[in-house]
Amino acid sequence: MVAELPSFQRYQLAFTARLRDSRNAPPLAGVPRERMAVYEEIVFNNLFESVSACFPIASKVIGKRKWLKLNQAFMRDYSANSPLFRRIPEQFLQYLNNPSPELQQLIPDYLNSLCHYEWIELLVSSIPETNPQGIQPNGDLAINRPVFSPTMQLLNYDYAVHKITPRKKPQHKASTQLLVYRNADDTVKFIELNAVTHRLISLLLNEAIAGEQALTLLAKELQHPQPESIIQFGLTILEDLKNQGVIIGTH
Amino acid sequence: MAIKSQLHGVGLGLKRELIPQIQSLYGQQQLANISFLEIAPENWINVGGKYAKQLDWFVERYPIVCHGLCLSLGGISPLNVDFLQQVKTFLHQYSIPVYTEHLSYCTDGFKGEQGYLYDLLPIPFTEEAVHYVAQRIRQTQDILGQRIGVENASAYVAAPVSELSELDFINAVIAEADCLLHLDINNIYVNSVNFGFDPHQFLRGIPGERIIYTHMAGHYQQTPSLLVDTHGENVIDPVWALLEDAYQLFGTFPTLLERDNNIPPLNVLMHEINKIADYQHKAERSFTAARQSAKTLG
Repeated sequence: MVAELPSFQRYQLAFTARLRDSRNAPPLAGVPRERMAVYEEIVFNNLFESVSACFPIASKVIGKRKWLKLNQAFMRDYSANSPLFRRIPEQFLQYLNNPSPELQQLIPDYLNSLCHYEWIELLVSSIPETNPQGIQPNGDLAINRPVFSPTMQLLNYDYAVHKITPRKKPQHKASTQLLVYRNADDTVKFIELNAVTHRLISLLLNEAIAGEQALTLLAKELQHPQPESIIQFGLTILEDLKNQGVIIGTH
Repeated sequence: MAIKSQLHGVGLGLKRELIPQIQSLYGQQQLANISFLEIAPENWINVGGKYAKQLDWFVERYPIVCHGLCLSLGGISPLNVDFLQQVKTFLHQYSIPVYTEHLSYCTDGFKGEQGYLYDLLPIPFTEEAVHYVAQRIRQTQDILGQRIGVENASAYVAAPVSELSELDFINAVIAEADCLLHLDINNIYVNSVNFGFDPHQFLRGIPGERIIYTHMAGHYQQTPSLLVDTHGENVIDPVWALLEDAYQLFGTFPTLLERDNNIPPLNVLMHEINKIADYQHKAERSFTAARQSAKTLG
């Protein structure tokens, strides 16, 4: 098929193959190596910087050499489909979820969760505004459906990703629930949730029901002897989320 | 070419690092020579939060032009029409009259996808490439409903398959696509060193009447015969001389300073902005003087 292409496109494919994998792709006939090396370096360095900027912790946690290898493999194996620069890290995440087999051993079990957690900040900081219609900013959260900030991300990880540092790598799994959102000042905020609050918010999101209904369901799920105390406690949590701007009103 | 009249004077590429400085010094005399700003749509399409507010702030105060990086006019994968539609919406949403792109490519169609490599790669200068690129520019202009400008790109490797000179390639593409020229003065110089030609001679071959605006920038000298277009250094004297020559040849046109790396404080960058403005005033004065003496003689 390549043979049917015009000569300029055959050359382009040989050129980009070299950029993707300068170790294994054949050098271009008639092109000085030191000139080609300029492209090999700048193209990789640009990609490497765009990826690394989003993952300051992950890149340090697995160490320079492994991080470099992962990025070289990303350059070599992944076909990026978005022209938007801020989506480069998201595409790296997609690659991490489905890497070439020989990379599996480079990737500790927690790395994908950690990278996802680091990427979420970029995502939430730049998600476009949507203005949900017909919201009562001061509606009663018990009898109406709470509406959450459109920027909110409800997250569930197998590791305590928010506690990982280069010196403190996770030794074991620890179910972790986080809520990330952008407040009215456009600051990205992280809230650690307990499993019950996480479940409450999931119910409200998925079932589209009023606060008290969700809490009644939750009390049943927990088989709590005093559902009323769950409801009272849960309503204070919803009020709290309202005050922080996670809940923006009711429907 | 009505578009040109909407731009004038000197522009600056809007980098994130510069945003707070421009906002805090806005309205002060020291920024008086910044007449327009340039953004890459790839950085601003569909942003929300503080980025959307920054964009609103600048759109209210400055004429904005869009200079794209990832359209991949010379790329082997199909033109990304979805992206172009996003660009179109973006231009309309912010009333941005100008969109330019590079005569280069950044995709390789790897694994049947676009295969973005996020950099400006050199198109081989062949007859087939002329028709291919011109057709994609026409397709772009049809979708956008407006002419675009294409920029002469810097390069480090000459393709052995090339059949044309860079100048012949650019001229052929522009004529066939009926588009505008976004002239990058620094790129002419970079390529003149990297490929050994006379940049002033090159200037004399370009279609000056199609220039929409020009770029000025600094580069990195890797070796005496290899310059890398980093936009990370000050503009050097031979590039200033080329700008002066271009103004004399074609009259002045809007000119924008690009500084993407190693960015000094805004008050330092203003030296180069002000210098461009000085060159423009000087060229306009000599142009007017020449016209008056022509009248006197007549």
